[in-house]
Amino acid sequence: MEPAIETTNLTKRYGSLTAVNQLNLKVERNTIHGFLGPNGAGKTTTIKILVGLLRASEGTARVLGQEVHVDQADLKLGIGYMPELPRFPKHLKGKELLDIYGRMYGMNQLERRAQIPKLLDLVGLKGRENDLIGKYSKGMQQRIGIAQALLNSPELVILDEPSIGLDPVGMVEVRELVKTISKEGMTVFVSSHLLFEVEQICTHITIINRGVALVSDTLQNVSNLISGPITLQVEIVNLNESVIAALKNLPYVKDMTKSNNTLNIPLKTFDDVRAEISKTITNAGGIIVAMNTKGHSLEEVFIQLINKTQGGKP
Amino acid sequence: MERQIEKQRPTWLQRFWAITRYEMLWNIRKKRFIGALIFAFVLATIQFALPALFNISENPYFAITFSVGNLSFVLFAIVTAMNSISGEYESGTIVPLLTKPVSRTMVFLGKLFAIFLTILTAYAVIYIYSIVGGIVVYGPQYNLQLVPLALIGDIISTFIWVAIVLAAGSVTKNSLLAFLMAFGLFIALAIGGGLISQLSDNPSGLNYIPGSGVSGTLNVSGGQNITVSNITVNTLSSVSTGTDSIGNNMVKVVLYPTSNVSFYHRDIFNFTAPPKLLFAESMGLIALRSIGVAFVYIAVFLFIAWYAFKRSQVFE
Ligand SMILES: Nc1ncnc2c1ncn2[C@@H]1O[C@H](COP(=O)(O)OP(=O)(O)O)[C@@H](O)[C@H]1O
Ligand SMILES: [Mg+2]
Repeated sequence: MEPAIETTNLTKRYGSLTAVNQLNLKVERNTIHGFLGPNGAGKTTTIKILVGLLRASEGTARVLGQEVHVDQADLKLGIGYMPELPRFPKHLKGKELLDIYGRMYGMNQLERRAQIPKLLDLVGLKGRENDLIGKYSKGMQQRIGIAQALLNSPELVILDEPSIGLDPVGMVEVRELVKTISKEGMTVFVSSHLLFEVEQICTHITIINRGVALVSDTLQNVSNLISGPITLQVEIVNLNESVIAALKNLPYVKDMTKSNNTLNIPLKTFDDVRAEISKTITNAGGIIVAMNTKGHSLEEVFIQLINKTQGGKP
Repeated sequence: MERQIEKQRPTWLQRFWAITRYEMLWNIRKKRFIGALIFAFVLATIQFALPALFNISENPYFAITFSVGNLSFVLFAIVTAMNSISGEYESGTIVPLLTKPVSRTMVFLGKLFAIFLTILTAYAVIYIYSIVGGIVVYGPQYNLQLVPLALIGDIISTFIWVAIVLAAGSVTKNSLLAFLMAFGLFIALAIGGGLISQLSDNPSGLNYIPGSGVSGTLNVSGGQNITVSNITVNTLSSVSTGTDSIGNNMVKVVLYPTSNVSFYHRDIFNFTAPPKLLFAESMGLIALRSIGVAFVYIAVFLFIAWYAFKRSQVFE
């Protein structure tokens, strides 16, 4: 089976600005592929070419085994797409929007009646489906944006910065949602400018900067490229041997270092394991007074990657 | 694990209807549209009242010579079509729409059909109002079965402006600009055409631009004479050749298939001088020509609108 997405030397220029530069991207099926890069890196431009909204200046893109052009209706049957900060007709109610889009997918009334309430529930819009979209908050527009991307149970779901503009709770919900839809067998291609977000949900990562892909690999390989794993700093009153022993038993805990009351715990995982760690410490009799994550800012990561991949020239 | 869901490809009719629904839900919720409807009702009411002011209490031809009117054509075209395409780009709603399994041609056709349905509904209501009002004010009406012909004619006339507004909007992606271009063109043609028809000895070029064309007199008896400062206009026999009068002219062809229309030049600086006969044409030719001219405009501008839409990229 062909990859879900494959681009060959994909290039897009806006006048003299090259937004996407010779991009070779490959998204295998049944993966959650993160498309990571700072603002202006060329993520949205790439995605818009993939969904046929923009024409490539050079190179080709194939989606679900078909070469992409502007205006291919049938190819869209297999793609669910949530635009960056999506906007929908203000005069429609949430439910009407999904109903009309459902009709465009050729879903019959039975299918629409089964699918739409399920999706509204999934994205947390239950009870607001009869409000006009013009009355929706930004977060609610994001949510209906996700719902409409999943309407047709597509093979490939493309989400352009799905958590942008959401509150922290909403961001967590979106991450959970992405994991859920991936379990249903959909391939997910999700862009983000937040490293930790991508780390938490993706199996594969492509990092893009100034239109150039710096690295594209599994999460594990990319994380090895990035200097060291994430470190948790935990300040513990009555830090004793049994706490340390309990922590060492956790599979994802590497060699810890101790300074005064603070433990530095490097993690071998990108999952959020803070709750588990804190439970382990508490159960072993420790009392946590502070916990910090020492992550890497995206800028640090890029500088490292640029150094590693391009010999230091940004 | 491979994902194997057999999906039914939607038929083109399903996609077309989905777009039409999408558009209709929008059109009927536009406040502007309600405004245009009220405006058309006011104009229709004035048409009842005006001849009555000249002491005409009976006019059996009122209903079949009724027209929604050229200003209403433009206004209805503008309110239903001005942001049909450009508005989607302006609001960003084009992005989710064009990434659904509907081709741009289908989106275009669905939107066009929704515009047609909206205008048809509005005009049908206005025409029913005119029939009822005509009977109340002017007594029994002749040949009411021809009213649908007048209505279809008005829709054709309106679609010239729909096509122009759509083309302007699709090319500029700017609703306000589309409105200004279409309305500006209408005003310019109305003023220019009025001047030419008054002053020129050979106004037949007016037959080929959207507007009221050339005024002539149908050589038939009947109707009611209205005289204003020495000029006598007959409610039945006055004919305009332009694209604004397609409905009226089709009705007259059916009523008087072999009749001729005479065109005069009147010296507006000397009302007492007798009008000079310029030429005469058959009613059938006049009606056919105005329909032909209208369809050429509609086809050309719709093509421009479609082509610009089909080719466009969505930059946001
Ligand atoms: N329509 C446009 N016209 C000109 N430049 C654009 C346009 N859209 C995006 N750009 C530029 O292209 C680059 C990539 O933008 P974008 O793809 O939106 O990045 P990202 O989604 O990664 O933030 C940026 O420098 C942006 O300013
Ligand atoms: Mg973006």
